[in-house]
Amino acid sequence: MKIVAAKKILSANAQLADENRAKLNAAGVLGVNLVGSPGCGKTTLLEALVASLRGRLAPAVIEGDIAGSIDAERIDALGVPVVQINTEGACHLDATMIAAATQGMDLAAADLLVIENVGNLVCTAGFDLGEHVRIVLLSLTEGDDKLVKYPAIFRGSHALVLTKCDLLPHTNFQVDRALGDMRRLAPEARVFQVSALRGEGIPALADWLVEQHAVARSGRGGTSLP
Amino acid sequence: MHEVAIVDALIEQVEEEVRRAGATGRVTRLELSIGRLSGVSADAVRFALELLAPGTVVESARVDIRQPKALCCCGACGARTEIEAVDCRCPLCGSGEITIEGGRDMILESIELEDPSP
Repeated sequence: MKIVAAKKILSANAQLADENRAKLNAAGVLGVNLVGSPGCGKTTLLEALVASLRGRLAPAVIEGDIAGSIDAERIDALGVPVVQINTEGACHLDATMIAAATQGMDLAAADLLVIENVGNLVCTAGFDLGEHVRIVLLSLTEGDDKLVKYPAIFRGSHALVLTKCDLLPHTNFQVDRALGDMRRLAPEARVFQVSALRGEGIPALADWLVEQHAVARSGRGGTSLP
Repeated sequence: MHEVAIVDALIEQVEEEVRRAGATGRVTRLELSIGRLSGVSADAVRFALELLAPGTVVESARVDIRQPKALCCCGACGARTEIEAVDCRCPLCGSGEITIEGGRDMILESIELEDPSP
């Protein structure tokens, strides 16, 4: 006997991700999945964004780490509601973890849910969490070849944020190369060059999130990854 | 090693499909399709199956994995070339004006079961 399934593996995750997205839509919340290598500056970017969005979008945060609550403490210090997920070894977050983490959150009081994924350019690419937009970070010190070396994560993202741009004079990072590769991998994606340390480029990214929030609220968002 | 999480989901999915079909008997063969650009390694999937399959419905299944290539579509020369990896250049003319189609999906294609004993 042969069963022809022809179904995506991870369809259970995809279904749960759709439910998460529906929950966010119902609450008028824009879901953002923040991905990038360990140390690329995800939490620092998030801190800068929280400040820049003050009075425009009320954030809530889910922090995903293998262990510890260092990141959640940093976000908590800003007075932003935050839930820490410890994956205890798992290299990525999945939709089940987000469903559980959002259980106790007051989504009605938020406009923006930022999910900071586990630092990883490989495994995080495969799991839809129920976000509206996925933002991939690449810090200049990681090198401009990462888009070609880890294409899956860049290809499925809606925006690329080059971080630590204040270090440009001290690296051999070729911004043109990275931008060209991103255009080929994800032609529709937006690119932002930022230095969270100096606040450069942060307002443009914050404005884009405000736009994306309006899109999600109007019901035009809510698609799965491109 | 997100392949472990993926294989875990795969086994649950096979159990669900078998249950839904009302089938009995051992699963003898699985056909999977794992796109070359899915970011998932077929070897790691096999390794994860060795770890996770014992004691489950797929315990004694043969697993065949197809790895479809992606298409690199060149805006400069118009070529549509099958690629196994992304190098962001058209393999024929070297142009960077390309778009990439497909090669990303991971699909459970089919499940074969031995006929139940009469």
